[in-house]
Amino acid sequence: MTETNSASRPERRFTTTPAFRSPEPAGDGSPSIEVDRLCLFYGEAQALRDVSLSIPRQQVTAFIGPSGCGKSTLLRCFNRMNDLIDHVRVTGTISLEGQNINAKEVDVAQLRRRVGMVFQRPNPFPKTIYENVAYGLRLEGKMPRSEMDERVEWALKSAALWDEVKDRLKESALGLSGGQQQRLVIARAVAIQPSVLLLDEPASALDPISTLKIEELIHQLKSDYTIVIVTHNMQQAARVSDYTAFLYLGELIEFDRTDDVFTNPKQKKTEDYITGRYG
Amino acid sequence: MNTPHISEQFDAELDAVRGLLMEMGGLVEQQLHDAAQALISQDDELAGKVRSSDARVNQLEIDIDEQCIHIIARRQPAASDLRTLITVMKASTDLERIGDEAGRVAKMAQAVSGMEYPADQYNDFRHIASLTEEILTRSLDAFARLDVDGALQVIESDEAIDQAYNAIVRERGTTMRKDASGIDRAMNVIWAARALERIGDHAKNLSEYVVFLVKGKDVRHSEKRRASAS
Repeated sequence: MTETNSASRPERRFTTTPAFRSPEPAGDGSPSIEVDRLCLFYGEAQALRDVSLSIPRQQVTAFIGPSGCGKSTLLRCFNRMNDLIDHVRVTGTISLEGQNINAKEVDVAQLRRRVGMVFQRPNPFPKTIYENVAYGLRLEGKMPRSEMDERVEWALKSAALWDEVKDRLKESALGLSGGQQQRLVIARAVAIQPSVLLLDEPASALDPISTLKIEELIHQLKSDYTIVIVTHNMQQAARVSDYTAFLYLGELIEFDRTDDVFTNPKQKKTEDYITGRYG
Repeated sequence: MNTPHISEQFDAELDAVRGLLMEMGGLVEQQLHDAAQALISQDDELAGKVRSSDARVNQLEIDIDEQCIHIIARRQPAASDLRTLITVMKASTDLERIGDEAGRVAKMAQAVSGMEYPADQYNDFRHIASLTEEILTRSLDAFARLDVDGALQVIESDEAIDQAYNAIVRERGTTMRKDASGIDRAMNVIWAARALERIGDHAKNLSEYVVFLVKGKDVRHSEKRRASAS
């Protein structure tokens, strides 16, 4: 750095760097997940009302909205996490790569292998760093040790954690910092190569630097995965996502390119929420 | 846009910066009026007043930029708030330029103030001055009221100033060819009219920003986009 500063004048550039351009679809633009007239009831209470949207492949889609708007509920529909709650009833359809995920013949364990999830609080297993990542792979069946090592290294590299832990793979994952634990959990999720990653407030328990690392990681991961993120932090949604969905009282109010939502939203409710006028 | 922010302080900050812009608008409106009047009535003193009032306008431009930067850094505004701040910053640049152009007219007014009062009573200049004053006032009104229709009308009416300017250049050119003794005055009137024509362009910019602020549509340099905004 110092060399370029003192010796040669920086080259003048007349082209925009990619970082300043609007995101271009990395995938073929086709939807990965299609939601059609989805309603969800917790007993009598309706949490989602007639939600329809298409989540584009290999893009980052953010769900924003006030607490209780249904954004986490919607996210949890994508890998049927809501199945774990009693008295939940779902109408409408959700298709993953064209397949109805709520169909009787769908194996939920298989579905969750294709749709990985990361939660707000990092939840590493009380095992070694290596075993945390290897855990999901072992469920896939026996694998030669050398191949397992490779997959673990690859996953940790994908999660931008390898350099920090490569010399302590046999140590407990619980000794890592919160930000490192969250990246470890992401490594665990990507190790089994899902097609979709669901992130539920992945950085809200982290400090600002760890948050930025997670955001950078999300940016890198989208070339391989379709990512859906729920966040309370609107600036984070603006920074990391290509598309933004705003939900309010269980309804999808607006779904558009993030650039448009944050500069010129179409709906007044969206405008009020993102400008801090929500009362 | 009428709903208040959860943070009242944020509303107060936005109001304050909009208030500064309106103050700046009022000042340059007065500068323009006085500068044109100074030329028409060959009033050296009034012209001097216009030129000295420029300092306040310049200071307002700096204050507006500074406050906008602070709000952006501290509040991370989005949507209409972001458009408001960007628009206010851009508008203050145009207003400052209008002030400069008015100063230029005042300089020309001083140059002709010692001359004998002309038989034509600066009729051509009166015409372009009244057109320019009107377009600036209407632009500032559209800004204050966030009136997109008013702004779009201003954008369309800018043409009349261009025509008035071309007429002055043509007529005064003819005068100069006939009578060399009138060259000094004619040149000054043409330069002053040129400044007014530029003011018209800046006023038109202000109206274009109003459309962007309210609708989020950038209508600069495009008839088609203007049509879609109305």
